[in-house]
Amino acid sequence: MTRQERSAWLFAAPVLAVIALVFVLPTLLALGLSVTDYSIYALADWSNLRFVGFGNFTDLLATPLFWRALGNTAVFAALGVPMAIGTSLFTALLLNDATVRWKPLWRVALFAPYVTGIVATAVVWRFLLNTRFGLLNWLLAQIEVAPVDWLGDPRWSIPAILLFVTWKVFGYNMIVFTAALATVPQDLMEAARLDGAGAWTRFRHVTLPAIGPTLLLATVLSVAGFLQLFAEPYVMTLGGPSQSTVTILYFMFDEGFKWWNLGQASTVAFVLLLLILSLTLIQTRIGRRYEWL
Amino acid sequence: MNDRAGEGWTRRRALQALSCASTATLLPGCTSRRDPEALTFWATGYEGDYAPHLMTAFSARTGIPVETQSLPGTAAHEKYLTARAGASLPDVMMLPSGWAGEFAMIGAIAPLPDPALAQDTFPGVMRPLTYEGRAFAMPWSVGSQVQFYRRDLLGEVGYDTAPTSWEGWRDLGAKLKRRHPDRYTMLMFLNWWDTLITFAGQAGAYPLRDNDTRGHFRTPAYRHALAFYVSLFADGYAPRVSSNELQDPLAAFAQGWFAIYPNGPTLLTDLHRRTSEIAAGAWGVARMPGPGGPGAVSAINNSIAVSTTTRRPAEAWALARHLTSVSSELRFQQMIGVLPARRSAWRSAQLAGPVLRPFAEQVEQPAMQPTIVEWERIRLEVQIIAERVVRGGLTIDEGLAAMDARVDALLAQRRRLVAAGKIA
Repeated sequence: MTRQERSAWLFAAPVLAVIALVFVLPTLLALGLSVTDYSIYALADWSNLRFVGFGNFTDLLATPLFWRALGNTAVFAALGVPMAIGTSLFTALLLNDATVRWKPLWRVALFAPYVTGIVATAVVWRFLLNTRFGLLNWLLAQIEVAPVDWLGDPRWSIPAILLFVTWKVFGYNMIVFTAALATVPQDLMEAARLDGAGAWTRFRHVTLPAIGPTLLLATVLSVAGFLQLFAEPYVMTLGGPSQSTVTILYFMFDEGFKWWNLGQASTVAFVLLLLILSLTLIQTRIGRRYEWL
Repeated sequence: MNDRAGEGWTRRRALQALSCASTATLLPGCTSRRDPEALTFWATGYEGDYAPHLMTAFSARTGIPVETQSLPGTAAHEKYLTARAGASLPDVMMLPSGWAGEFAMIGAIAPLPDPALAQDTFPGVMRPLTYEGRAFAMPWSVGSQVQFYRRDLLGEVGYDTAPTSWEGWRDLGAKLKRRHPDRYTMLMFLNWWDTLITFAGQAGAYPLRDNDTRGHFRTPAYRHALAFYVSLFADGYAPRVSSNELQDPLAAFAQGWFAIYPNGPTLLTDLHRRTSEIAAGAWGVARMPGPGGPGAVSAINNSIAVSTTTRRPAEAWALARHLTSVSSELRFQQMIGVLPARRSAWRSAQLAGPVLRPFAEQVEQPAMQPTIVEWERIRLEVQIIAERVVRGGLTIDEGLAAMDARVDALLAQRRRLVAAGKIA
């Protein structure tokens, strides 16, 4: 080992130690739990604990609510990621325009939801989404659309929560995109304009390649975020109506902390870990193809 | 964390001191938080909010301060469990009676030191509080679902009081629907299990079999109860709503959106407080309807338990005795409407009014409920399936089969432990 390598390890050691302590060790312990039938009976008496191998996994696959949660999470991610990233990118492009005034003000206003407490904002959104007195249904009534039972109808509960989540999180990626848009070469943009490229063509061939890596990063983080959706359904619907907003993490929380089936909950955690890991690998592979990494 | 612990004067502490100084006169507990001398007490709902009023007399008499923490009802179960696992349970706690067996099993709560503490109560109250033959909690309050009804709305279609038979409920529903097609007769939240369980108890259905190790839903009695429950939604007598959709059910009751609100005794407090919205004479109370008139109904009882980890058991039990004394229970009844679990407290004139008579009759006739650890979860999951039946995802028979299948799966571990002789 050279002197340089030694000092590099030395500097990295504190971080590695923390990662080992708060990530690697708990993950290994959870892996250990996931092959046992740890439940409230084991809390009562350790001799009730059994090694079950893949038993939790096969039980999980036979649990209808798990599949329901998996499906709900897939819908949340499939709709939510494009919605959130699209909104972020759109607002970032708007704010990037030279004609917009008071840019810092707009940025703060649009970023504010991201840093506001989730419970407080959920209360406000529950009022907005109220079937009889909500602002959203009032607006719909103006264009003669019948009131929608946003949080009570299993068909509308996911879109309703997605509206809330999108509003809540888009500010973060908006700031990231704003920074990325500042790096788009202006001379290239002007050359394209002189060559007669329209707004869409310029976006497609000048802006997009320049912010590609940022877009990939935002997508990876958003997919991981949406797959771990928990707090929003927890405070808005408690997983209802008809379990239509139970996500994987929500399912895991209930299994683990509400019913103390920590063995089963650890298995869910591992399934989710593998899911996020594989999706991220696919995304990075796509990113490599476009030379965004 | 470190930088905070070392300093004597931080902004947070300054703010705390400031807020305490300004509210010290209003909140006696403010300056004494984390008092090492104090006993700790946890409770949910109104009990948690108002328990400090019961503590002043206790502290004055014994000199022991008590710190009360109010827990949200929806998160209390996990809060108690994690506290047990983390060895941070309070000295004394309020438990819904159905949880006592579970917390006794995991060794979280201590058995009563004196069997006399379990006396002077109503039939069936001690059954869920008993684990392996020993009582682990003191009864605190009793109650059950009753129907709160709007006298004026029922009067419009010719009723003096609410009907107490299933047939009568459906007749009333049909009449009210004809008169007000856009309104409803009864409110039964689709994510709350109470009403279906009440109906099942009325029909004489016991949900488990084989020493409580398997579901027993495909029975004529349970089918009868579920079919009646579902018919109320199918015919438009009850709205298909969950509790999170209706921000203020009492306001909707006052506005006449529905005429009958099955609920427990604590609704009395809300009704007494909000007379500007709903006049005192506008509502009445009757027992829940049964297939052939009122019958046995599952109880909604609460109890007081002492944790096994308390460092001062004698003082903790003194507090438990104080909370469950006749005078404390009567005081609480006056304050928040909960009904005393002590039979002798019911001799007080305070409980003699006609509004409480349906409760007094009902507590003498409780329906038997399972007392196993999984019951809390079973009733939630059974209600989930019932909701799917109501919303049209399953037929009644498919629903009953799904309940049996789900409950059998939930009881798999219990079945194995019972077969191995590890639990009774």
